[in-house]
Amino acid sequence: MKALQRSFARIFNFAARRRSDRRLREEMQEHLAMQAEENMRAGMTPAEARRQAILKLGALEPIRESYRAEQGIPLAETVLQDIRYALRMLRKSPAFTLVVVVTLALGIGANAAIFTLINALMLRNLPVADPQMLVRLGNSNDCCVGQGTPDNGEFSLFTTGTYEFLRKNTPDFEELAAIQAGWSYRPVVVRRDASQDTPRSVMGEFVSGNYFRMFGMNAAKGRLLTDRDDVAGAPLTAVMSDETWRSHFNRDPAIVGSIFRVNTKPVTIVGIAPRGFYGDRLMVSPPEFYLPIETMPALANVTYVHDPDEQWLYMIGRLRPGVSRAQVQQKVSALFRQQLATTPRYSTKERLDALNRAHIVLTPGGAGVQAMQEYFNTRVNMLMIASGLVLLIACANIANLLLVRGMARKAEMNVRTALGARRGRIIRQLLTESLMLAAAGGLAGLVVAYAGARMLLALAFPGAEHVPIDARPSPLILGFACGLSLLTGMLFGVAPAWIASRAEPVEALRGNTRFVSGGTTLLQRTLVVLQAALSLVLLVGAGIFAQSLSKLQHIDLKLDPVNRYIVHINPQTAGYAQHQVVDLYRTIEDRFRALPAVDKVGIASYTPMEDDNNGWGVAVQGRPDSHLNASYLKANPDYFDSVGTRLIAGRNIEPRDTASSQPVAVVNQNFVRAFFKPGENPLGQHFGNGSRRAGDFEIVGVVEDTAYQSATWKDHRMYFVPLPQHPFGTNYSIDKDENMYANAIVVKTSRPVPDMEELARHTLADINPNLAVQHFQTFTAQIADQFTEERLLSRLTMLFGVLALLLASLGLYGVTAYGVARRTSEIGIRMALGAQRGGVTTMVIRGAMIQSLLGLAIGIPAAVATAHYASSLVYEIKGASATVLTSSVLALALATLVAALIPARRAASIEPARALRTE
Amino acid sequence: MKQKTDVMQGTLALMVLKTLDVLGPLHGYGIARRIEQISGDLLSVNQGTLYPVLLRLEQEGSVESDWGASENNRRARYYKLTRAGKRDLQAEVQDWNQTAEIIARFLAAKAEDPS
Repeated sequence: MKALQRSFARIFNFAARRRSDRRLREEMQEHLAMQAEENMRAGMTPAEARRQAILKLGALEPIRESYRAEQGIPLAETVLQDIRYALRMLRKSPAFTLVVVVTLALGIGANAAIFTLINALMLRNLPVADPQMLVRLGNSNDCCVGQGTPDNGEFSLFTTGTYEFLRKNTPDFEELAAIQAGWSYRPVVVRRDASQDTPRSVMGEFVSGNYFRMFGMNAAKGRLLTDRDDVAGAPLTAVMSDETWRSHFNRDPAIVGSIFRVNTKPVTIVGIAPRGFYGDRLMVSPPEFYLPIETMPALANVTYVHDPDEQWLYMIGRLRPGVSRAQVQQKVSALFRQQLATTPRYSTKERLDALNRAHIVLTPGGAGVQAMQEYFNTRVNMLMIASGLVLLIACANIANLLLVRGMARKAEMNVRTALGARRGRIIRQLLTESLMLAAAGGLAGLVVAYAGARMLLALAFPGAEHVPIDARPSPLILGFACGLSLLTGMLFGVAPAWIASRAEPVEALRGNTRFVSGGTTLLQRTLVVLQAALSLVLLVGAGIFAQSLSKLQHIDLKLDPVNRYIVHINPQTAGYAQHQVVDLYRTIEDRFRALPAVDKVGIASYTPMEDDNNGWGVAVQGRPDSHLNASYLKANPDYFDSVGTRLIAGRNIEPRDTASSQPVAVVNQNFVRAFFKPGENPLGQHFGNGSRRAGDFEIVGVVEDTAYQSATWKDHRMYFVPLPQHPFGTNYSIDKDENMYANAIVVKTSRPVPDMEELARHTLADINPNLAVQHFQTFTAQIADQFTEERLLSRLTMLFGVLALLLASLGLYGVTAYGVARRTSEIGIRMALGAQRGGVTTMVIRGAMIQSLLGLAIGIPAAVATAHYASSLVYEIKGASATVLTSSVLALALATLVAALIPARRAASIEPARALRTE
Repeated sequence: MKQKTDVMQGTLALMVLKTLDVLGPLHGYGIARRIEQISGDLLSVNQGTLYPVLLRLEQEGSVESDWGASENNRRARYYKLTRAGKRDLQAEVQDWNQTAEIIARFLAAKAEDPS
């Protein structure tokens, strides 16, 4: 009780900063006065009386100490005192403080930024109920519509038939849902019915009716999809994403229940998906609408929904509690083979082997379909290593700076010890200082981390409308950054503190500058050498990525992007049936040609250097089926000129190639190389999809190998077919042929037309208001997009390399400058004895250079090893080239020179007389 | 030679309380004088150590203090026993007597005197 009362009083005093030092002083004065009077009455002289009184009262300082200790909370007070003192000391050396804080901020910031990204990309689960109970059927990102058997027999892409069969026969799943695999390649055009809004081309995902139930979600408003929505002939329904509801319709409650035109068909919006739900996979542009699979034929006019052989679905299921994944995997694979055996494709004898190999690997589905994750995995790891190295260099720097500072303050510590400071107290003081620095660095690091993560996202997904990745550091990252900075502070605060605290008071009283000479310690130099080595590794890495990027960008793509504009459309979404599109294409050609400065109007299925491809098997008439694929592209007569592909032999696609004329094809040189012997004339030969249809197309021309999809696709075989031709007989009627829909218009102009986008929109809207532009880009921008990732990697590694070099130089500068300061008197003596200023400069620079050279000796083998590792991530570069190594070494040498020059000049400007006087 | 302060830590507070109990409100110097008179040289030096003890007693609520005028019209801080202080004093005196009695008996005990 008493103790409690006392603690309250202490805390109160501490908090209120109540200082009754004055009261003590006054009381003691009174005490002295009374004692002196007493003494005088006893017969002493006034002076003697006062002296005796003071003696009797005792030593003042200890009394005051214990009085204060009694008054407040001594520990808290000394900590506060330490902090105040530390702040004062840090303020007194702003350069040191700034360098340490900036170093830490960059080191911690870079790491936290990368960590934020990893956390968002790799570690995060979907925002759904119990994500750990979800499994995905399949382990690859095969996309989007096709009929193949994966080489290893591991299926990830399924037919509607497989889905329905598995759903019915696996009670181990609480729910098993199916998801359109390639929705991101197939935007829908949406417009609110009876509104003046222009139709928007947006992401829409077709899913099974139990999709939301499988995820365990509730609607933000209205209801979500149910099985009743997902039956053939059901009223057309859709669920809107919360993001779209918010950003485009201002959370208008009337949206629920209203009609939207999706690809011109009326669809009722039955509800809004929960807030924060971004679909079943991390994508740059998440779906804005979720639509039932069974409504896809009506809305998107596709034939594969009920085709027994066309695989186009992913599956994710929610396991029942207590069911093991391994068991289910066995069972699902067996059922899968059972179902496949009933399909036309796998019931033939020649595919028996493929059927037996077929199985499904179950993977954790909590993070959904991990397309982006797989894509970024190796890159993110590499960036993490790079940023880890930067942190290492930063730590070495901090260690060095703190060491230097600790040494420089040895005299101060000596004096403090001589005045009675205990070792623990001194260590605590120095530790407080380093922790303050670490805290400041950590705080600044968070700012850097936030900005860095934002920058990374912007670099990684340029022009993305809504990336569902948050750049804000989570509590986990906050902890990571704080822990890291504290650890650094502790680690590198303790060593100098320990060294400093071993101060001998006697040394303080001696002029110790001359006796403790010898410049820098081995530890310091080791740290500098390490930094130099690490920064070399990073520089070489950066060099390799830069070289790879430049090599990629200098690949001859065999096209001409100048003054070309690419307009992506999808006539299907505007309500055109296949037999109507030929007229539409003619209208598009005419209207665009009428625009000012337009030379050529190409129309094609897709264009060079975009992420689209359509591969078909090829068999040449009169030869055995090669089982090789080639990309199939439909184009109009202007197309080759519009993208800048040159004709090598034969003729171009021409207006005379109509639906009723002889079906023809123009092939590329790789096609000729793959299917014909050298010297053989391909013109006049026939080929088709499979030996039964080998007579479908006659080759009339050969064009050069323009790069499609990726600059690095080697031996890309392609054939180009006139837009109106559909030579596939009655089995495959024109209205089932998806390839009749061209997705791209390429406009070639005679001069730059800055408002081409507006012109294109108007021209298309004039033809049909529902002809929305899916995507508009200049050809140059489209090509640049294909190098985004390489550019990002190159920029980031360069950033890390430069950062490392900067930090290493700072470290080198710090150590050299410190060495010079320590050797002031030695240098003074040398100069007094006749050393030349030039000689002194050389001596200092040589010292720094030796450390850099040692760094190189360690760094070069390490860099070569790193280069070997990095080679797997870059384009056609094997290890570090001489150019990269030489320029990295030169960069390091230059940085060393600059870092050493400043202290060297200071050394050379030492006045011998003054240096000797400092004793 | 033993340090006097060791003894004082435990006993000074009790002496202060007893002094205030006997003499009523008193300033620091008065308390010091009184302790010096009664205990001999215990507080003949280092009288200042009294003040931290007074502060502690005050924070514990055993005494309270206020400025007042001394006999010869000087300003001085007067300490006064509170009711809680009186209770504390009684308890401590009892404790002390008990301890002293035990120690005394212990020291007086001879080898052939087992009980």
